[in-house]
Amino acid sequence: MNSPILQLKEISKQFGTVIALDHVSLDVFPGEIRGLIGENGSGKSTISSIAAGMQKATSGQMFFRDEPWNPSSMIEALEGGIGMIVQESGTIPGISVAENIFLGELDTFRGRLGMIDRKEMNRQADEAMRGIGVDHVKGSMPLASLDFQTRKLVEIAKVNRKHPDILVIDETSTALSHDGREIMYRLIRRYRDEGKAVIFISHDLDEIMEVCDTLTVLRDGELIRTFTKDEFDPDAIRTSMIGRELKGDYYRSDMQPSRMQEVALSGEHLYLGEELQDVSISLHKGEIVGIGGLSSCGMHTLGKVLFGAAKPEQGTVKTADGREIKNEQTAMAEGIGYVSKDRDVESLCLSASVRDNIAIAGMDKYALGGFLITNFKEKAYVAQQVEALSIKCAGQEQLTGQLSGGNKQKVVFGKWIGCGSSILILDCPTRGVDIGVKQAMYQLMTELKQQGKAILLISEEMPELIGMSDRVLVMKDGKITKELERSPQLTDAVIIRYMI
Amino acid sequence: METGTLKKKSGGTAGRHLVDLLPFLALAVLFALFCAIVKGKGYRLDIYLKTIFNQGVVLAVVATGAIFIYTLGSFDISLGASTLFAATMGVLTYNATESLPLMLLAIFGTAIACSLFSSALASAFHIPAFVTTVAMLSVLSAVSAQIITTRGGSLGGIGIPKPVVKPLDNPPFKIALLAAFFLLCFFVFQLTKAGRRQKFIGGNLVCARLTGISYNKYAILAFTMAGIGVGLGAFLTLVYTPSVTATTASGIGMSIFVAIVFGGMPISGGARSRIHAALVGGFSYILLNNILELVLEGGSAYGLTQIVSAVFFLAVVYVTSMNYRTALLPR
Amino acid sequence: MKTRKMTKTMLTGIALAGALAATAMTASAADLKIGVLVADVSGEEAQGFRSYYENYIAENYDVEFVYTDALEDAAGEKAAIEKFASQGCQAIISLSSSDRATQIDTCDEYGVYYAIASGVLDDELFETYKGYEYFAGQVGPGNATEFEAGKAMGEYFKAQGVTSVAMYGAFIPNPMHVFRAAGVIAGLGDTYGGTNDMYEMIGQIFADQKIDPAKVEGDVALTAYLQGYGDTTTDEINAAIQKEPEAFLSVGMATTFFTQMLNEAGIPFADIDSFTQANGTAIKEGQLVYLAGKYSSSIGPVFALIKNAVDGNPIRDEEGNAPSFSQGYLVATDGESFDEYYVADNGDAPIYDKETLDSIIGADVTYEDFKALVESK
Repeated sequence: MNSPILQLKEISKQFGTVIALDHVSLDVFPGEIRGLIGENGSGKSTISSIAAGMQKATSGQMFFRDEPWNPSSMIEALEGGIGMIVQESGTIPGISVAENIFLGELDTFRGRLGMIDRKEMNRQADEAMRGIGVDHVKGSMPLASLDFQTRKLVEIAKVNRKHPDILVIDETSTALSHDGREIMYRLIRRYRDEGKAVIFISHDLDEIMEVCDTLTVLRDGELIRTFTKDEFDPDAIRTSMIGRELKGDYYRSDMQPSRMQEVALSGEHLYLGEELQDVSISLHKGEIVGIGGLSSCGMHTLGKVLFGAAKPEQGTVKTADGREIKNEQTAMAEGIGYVSKDRDVESLCLSASVRDNIAIAGMDKYALGGFLITNFKEKAYVAQQVEALSIKCAGQEQLTGQLSGGNKQKVVFGKWIGCGSSILILDCPTRGVDIGVKQAMYQLMTELKQQGKAILLISEEMPELIGMSDRVLVMKDGKITKELERSPQLTDAVIIRYMI
Repeated sequence: METGTLKKKSGGTAGRHLVDLLPFLALAVLFALFCAIVKGKGYRLDIYLKTIFNQGVVLAVVATGAIFIYTLGSFDISLGASTLFAATMGVLTYNATESLPLMLLAIFGTAIACSLFSSALASAFHIPAFVTTVAMLSVLSAVSAQIITTRGGSLGGIGIPKPVVKPLDNPPFKIALLAAFFLLCFFVFQLTKAGRRQKFIGGNLVCARLTGISYNKYAILAFTMAGIGVGLGAFLTLVYTPSVTATTASGIGMSIFVAIVFGGMPISGGARSRIHAALVGGFSYILLNNILELVLEGGSAYGLTQIVSAVFFLAVVYVTSMNYRTALLPR
Repeated sequence: MKTRKMTKTMLTGIALAGALAATAMTASAADLKIGVLVADVSGEEAQGFRSYYENYIAENYDVEFVYTDALEDAAGEKAAIEKFASQGCQAIISLSSSDRATQIDTCDEYGVYYAIASGVLDDELFETYKGYEYFAGQVGPGNATEFEAGKAMGEYFKAQGVTSVAMYGAFIPNPMHVFRAAGVIAGLGDTYGGTNDMYEMIGQIFADQKIDPAKVEGDVALTAYLQGYGDTTTDEINAAIQKEPEAFLSVGMATTFFTQMLNEAGIPFADIDSFTQANGTAIKEGQLVYLAGKYSSSIGPVFALIKNAVDGNPIRDEEGNAPSFSQGYLVATDGESFDEYYVADNGDAPIYDKETLDSIIGADVTYEDFKALVESK
C-alpha cells in the first residue's frame, strides 16, 4: 500500500475533566474512503474536527503529506487541503447562497471602487453548485429560503470548490434525502477516483458498509478496531461499537398492522403553500403512522401543522372529540407532543439543564395547586424520566448542550413522554442517533403503541418506516400519493416508486 | 445522580456552582474593601453606608423587577424614564389631592401601564419589545420634561411637601419594602410555573413556542413585574428626595444593565437567569462606583470612574461567559 | 482549570482595586474642607471656577476643596452632600441646581454650612430657607439679573439700529435661559404674546417650552429662532443664516456651537457666557460683538461667606437671615474691554484676590461690608 496522506499519532483531547479522545492513532491513505463509526460521544467527530482545524488536540501529532499539520482554523485547513462538512448547520441563513460559499473571500470580488461584483460572485457560486451536480440552486438565492437538506448541499459545494485532498463528511447523510445522498455518494466516488481521500462519518451501518473501503470503530474516545472491506460484518461492527451484543428486536417484531378503532387526531383537506395540497390524514390510537418522501415533499410541514405550529391556509386539525388544534397551546392541552427534526434548535434549550428541559412540558403533572413548583417533586419527576429512558448524564443539573446527540434526543422524548402525551408527532426522531439509542427508541415506540398512544413517524429512512409503521403514507409535492399497509412484502422500492 | 454508564464526568457542574458564587464573593470583597477605605480615610462609615443603601435600594428594586424582562432575552431601556414618569404622576396626584394612597395608586398605575404598553405595542406590531422600549424612552422623557418644566417653572422641578414622605426615609422601612418585593419576585421566579417558563423562553424561544409556551402571555407578566419594580423605585426616589426634575433617574436604565451582569446573570437571559442578580449586582455596582470615587477622590480625571467601571464590566462579562463557552462540548 | 483561571482573574481585579485604594488613603490636613456640588464639569466657566478655588484660594487659605463628578439629579446631589458630610466637610458650595431645597435640608440635617454660587433660589424658596442656621447665603445673578442681562443685550442692538435678529434660546426651559431670552425680547422693544412684563413673558415661555417667533411683535423682527444642543441645530442655524438677520442674539453657549458658521456668514453675534479664552478669540478675531459674562473669581465671595460661617461669624442680614447678594454681569463689546476683565482676573491677581477677600473675611466683617464690596464689582 502507498504511504498515508494523513497521519494522526497519539491524539488526545480533553474538555475540562472529560477525556474525549484517548491516544488515538489513525492513518488515511490516498484513494481511500475511510469510515468512522461509533456511538454518540465515541470521539469520531472530535478526531475528524481536529484534523480539519475546528479545534486543537490536547496532545499528539498530526502529519499531512508528511509535513507537520497544525491548522489554526477550518479555513486554514481547507486552504491547506482538508475540508469538512459538519454535522449540524454550517451555513449562515441571513445571506445569499453565493455569500455563504465565498464567506471570507468576498474581497476577491471587489472592484476598483470597492464594490462587490455580485454578478460574478453569483456566477461562480452557480458554477460551484454545478460542480457537485446541483443545477436548481442559484448563487443569488437567499439561504433562508432553502430547506435544511439544500443548505447542506450548499455547504458541500462550498468545501468542494476548494478541491481538498481530504474531504471529511460528518454525519451528513441523515440531513439529506434520497437525491441528496446520491449527489454526495457521486462526489465521494469522484474523490476516490482522483486519488484523494474521504473520511466518512455515519451512524447508518448499512450505508457506511456500502460506501467505505475501510471502517474504523471508536468507542469512549478510544480506537477499538479497523475493519477492511473483506472483514465487514454487521454484527462484529455493532459489537465493537457498543462493546456488547445487541439483544432483542431492532424494529417491531410483529408484521401485521394494528390500531384501535378510535381516531386520535385527524387533519382534513389541509393546504399550506406548495408544501401541503389537500392533505387529509387520520391517526388512530395505538397506531404508528409513518410518513415518507423526499425532504421537500411537505411531510415536515405536515408535522408542524398537526401540532398547531404552522397555520394551514385551509382545512382543520381536530382531536378525537372534535376539538380543533389552533396553536401549540391547544395541541399541548390535547396531549400532543412534537419532536422536531431540528432537535438542537426546536426541541431543546441547550443552555438549560436536563432537568429544565424534561420538566418544562410536564409541570402541570406535579405543580401544587396548578402553579407552585417544589424542588422535591420536580426532581422526582425528572429522575423518573432519566431512569426510564436511561439518559446518560452526570446529573439532572448537567447542561443539555453537554450531552451526546442520542442522549439529547432521549431528553426530548423524556419531555414529551413524561407529561403524558397521548399523541406523538416524531419528525426524524433518530436523526444523528447511534445504533444502541436507535434500538432503544424503537422499543419505546413499540411500548407506547401498545399503551394506546398514537404516533406519527415522519422519516427519511426507509428501513425505519417499514420496520415501525402500521401504515406508511408516501408524500410527493405536498400530496399523499400512496397509503401502504404494514406487511412483510413492503420494501424500499415500493415506497420510492411513489415518492419520486 | 448518575444514570447509565457515563464513564467521564463533566467538570462543568462544579465550575458552574463556583461561578454562581462569584457575584456573592465579589459583593463581600467589595463591601470589605469599601469599609476598609472609608475607615482608612477616617470618614464616617455609618453615613456612607446609609447613602450607599439609599443609592442601591432604588436600583435594586427596579432591577429586580427588570430581571423578568431580561430573563426573556429582551431588555427595557425605558425603565429610567418610566421611573421618572411614574414619580412625576405621583407628584401631580399628591399635589392635586393631598392623598398619599392616591399618590401611590398613581405611581404604580402609571408604572405598570407604561411597562405593559411597551409589551402590548411589541405584541401588536410583532417587533422585539426592546424596540418599543426605545420609543417609550423618548416619549416618557419628553412628556415628563414637559410636565416638570411647565409646572416647575423657574424652580426647574416639581415636588411634594417633604413632611409627607420624610417619616418613611429610613433604612428599616426601605429594607422591609425591598425584602417584600424580592420575596415576591423570588416566589414567582423560582417557585411557579410562570417563572420557569420565562427562563425557558429566554433560553430558546423557538423551542418554548413548540412546547406550548406563549411568549406574549409571559411577556405581559414580565413587564408587569418590571412595572411594579419601577413603581417601587419611583416611590423610593420620592421618599429620598421629594422632588423630580427632568433628569431624575435618567441613568437607571443603563445601571440596571450593568447591575444585572455584575450579579452574574447572562445578558441574554435564559436558563442561567438569577433573581438575586439584581440585588447582588446592584449593590456591587454602587459599591464599586463609590470605591472608585473614593480612590480617585477629587475628580482628578472626570470620567475615569466610568472608564474603570466599564473595564470591570467587560471583565465580569468575560469571566461569567468563559465557563459557559467552554462547557458545551462539540460532539 | 478554567474555574481557577476565572477566580484568579476576578481576584486580581479586586486586588488591583485594593492596591489603588491603599495608595489613596491619605487624610486631609487642611483646617477647612469644602465640598463643591457640580453639575457641569467640562464647561470653560466651570473649569475656570475650579481653577480659581484650587489654584488660588487653596494656596492662600488653609482650605481643601472636594468636587463631585457631574451630578445628574436631586438624588445625586443629596448623596453627594451625605458623602461630603461623612468625609468631614464643614461646608458645601453648590454649583448644581436640581433640587436646592433638598440640598439645604440635607446640609441642615448633617450640620454642614451651605452656600449657593451659581443661580439663586427663587423668592419663595429663599423666604422658606433664609432663616435656616446652616444656610450661609447666596451670591450670584438672580432671575431678575438674568432678565436684565438679556434686556441690556437687546437694548444694545436696538440702539445700534438693528431691525432683524435671529435668536438662540440655548437650553430653554432651563430657567436661567428663559429669563435671559425674555429679557432680550423686552430689550429689543418687542413683546411676547402681547406683553413685555417679565413674569408674564416667562410664564408663557415656560408653557411654550420655547420662544415662538409668531408671538414676538415689535419693531425688531425675529427672523429665526433655535434652541438645543449645537449638534442638533446645524440645519436650523443654516436656515437662520439664509434669512440674513442683522444680528444673532444668543442667551448662552453660542461661541461653543456657532462661532465658525457665524464668522463665515459675517453675522455679528452676542452671547451671555464667561470671560474665557475662546470668547476672547471670538471677540477679537471673529464676529462676537457683545459678551455679557462672569469671571472666574466671581465665586470668591461665596467662599468668604462659608469661611466666615465656619469660623463662627456667619454673615446675616439686618433681620438675621442668610444674605442674598446680587452679582451682575460684566459686558465687553470689543477686545479691549474683554481683556480688561479677562487678563485682570487670571493668574496670581484675580479680581477677588486675597487682599480683597480678606476685607470680607474675619470676626468683625458685617453684612454691609459684604454688600458694599460684592455689589461694587
